[in-house]
Amino acid sequence: MHEEIISATDVTLTYRVVHGASSSMKESALNFLQRRISTTDFTALNNLSFTLNRGETLAVIGRNGAGKSTLLKVLARVLPPTKGRVIVRGSVAPMIELGAGFNPELTGNENAILYSAILGRDINVVKQRLGEIAEWAGIADHMDLPIRTFSSGMIARLAFAIATDKVPDLLLVDEVLSVGDAEFQEKSSLRMRELMAQDTGVILVTHNLETARKLATRALWLERGSVAAMGDVDMVVDSYLKHYKG
Amino acid sequence: MSSEIYDSAVSHVGVTDTMRSLWNQRTLIRLLVVRDVTVRYKRSIFGVAWTLLNPLMTSMVLWFVFSRIFAGRLPNGVQYAPYVLAGILFSTFFTQGITLAAESVAGGAAILTKVYVPPQVFALATALASAVNFSLGLAALTLVSLVTADGIAWTAPLTLVFMLSMIMLITGLGLILSVAYIRFDDMRNIVTVLVMITTYLTPVFYPKSILGTRTRDIVNLNPLTSYIEVFRSVFSHNGVVTWHQWAYMIGTALVAWIVGTRVFARSWPRIVAML
Repeated sequence: MHEEIISATDVTLTYRVVHGASSSMKESALNFLQRRISTTDFTALNNLSFTLNRGETLAVIGRNGAGKSTLLKVLARVLPPTKGRVIVRGSVAPMIELGAGFNPELTGNENAILYSAILGRDINVVKQRLGEIAEWAGIADHMDLPIRTFSSGMIARLAFAIATDKVPDLLLVDEVLSVGDAEFQEKSSLRMRELMAQDTGVILVTHNLETARKLATRALWLERGSVAAMGDVDMVVDSYLKHYKG
Repeated sequence: MSSEIYDSAVSHVGVTDTMRSLWNQRTLIRLLVVRDVTVRYKRSIFGVAWTLLNPLMTSMVLWFVFSRIFAGRLPNGVQYAPYVLAGILFSTFFTQGITLAAESVAGGAAILTKVYVPPQVFALATALASAVNFSLGLAALTLVSLVTADGIAWTAPLTLVFMLSMIMLITGLGLILSVAYIRFDDMRNIVTVLVMITTYLTPVFYPKSILGTRTRDIVNLNPLTSYIEVFRSVFSHNGVVTWHQWAYMIGTALVAWIVGTRVFARSWPRIVAML
């Protein structure tokens, strides 16, 4: 089995911002004719290189707009890098905006199956496990009701339960630990730790530096798309704090 | 587990790449089709019957208005009632399919911006859902054909070739349009008008014999004309069809599919950032 789950080499992601381009075709055409169109490239990620091994947790920290979420999307295979190369080996469970893909008209069970298929799981296995998934999420009584009747906390519980039901090779987490009530937060961080103990690689994007210290082994500090520091989590968090709080 | 490898340096823009990834996602596609077919009617009192009610009512109105005028102009032995119902089922298949397929990729944005799923899955699933709705309509058409004419033809199973061509046409065009929809908000309005013009240039409720030579040439040039004529001919012998029309139908379906998947795969990296 390969030790390295992620290998990113010189990953650069640029968005082309077109000034004068509008979401209206008529305006775009007019602007084009009047030569009012110019483009600038916005670099969201700049020459990022890093690797992640099995069982390792890498915390990604940085201010808003530093490129943390963009990095997750590149690793989730959603955004292709403009330059450089990303290799991800194994199954990926992205936990980004939990429950965003749910359909409000479908029931909890139907959504659980659909979401599992989206994550590339074997739905015959998932069907057997629906009871356990609902039990763990503490919403067993609601699974036959349409999702639109769920509270946002219940939706997050269900999505978390589905995403972590099977041990993935790589878990991409975006501030997900802060969902739900105190009891569920406890429960979900326990499950995260179980997963980490099972050789899963984790990328954890967080603003909570204490969470980063507790869960991660290494940290990556992003500053305007570039690596400001990378290495031992305590070292990186300390220098981050020193930089911003003096 | 570890057999899945994502390498960003390997690009997948070919037609066979798309075919392979769609085949790998067949379970998800099936679930999406079921979702599309059921969700649309979940909150309506008529349920799935609504799928049939709409084309049946439209056909009845058209039959009521035009049957006297057009009945004598139809080819020998062709009844107007199955003729118009087949036309309406066809145009619903096309119009609904193309509109929903074009919206489907943007509609899947919540998923597509978080999890890797080949986005083509959504367009194909909507095209298939329209095909399912169309097959429900075939039951009604069979009934109408039995009552007013000689029933369905022994060539009826060939309707599957027509449906397959429609699915390819709708998915291909839908993929191109979905790129345009994400880029330009006002594209919708233009497409609605274009789709309307194209369906009017198809013999949906009128027989071709009422047209002058110039207009008839335009109508014959419209690929949709070959689709509907093949469908009518194989399903209930409503009209004759030449091998030219078969070739035109299958040819345009293949071209739409190939161009659509290629254009989409090439534009997607730029388009996904706009979602």
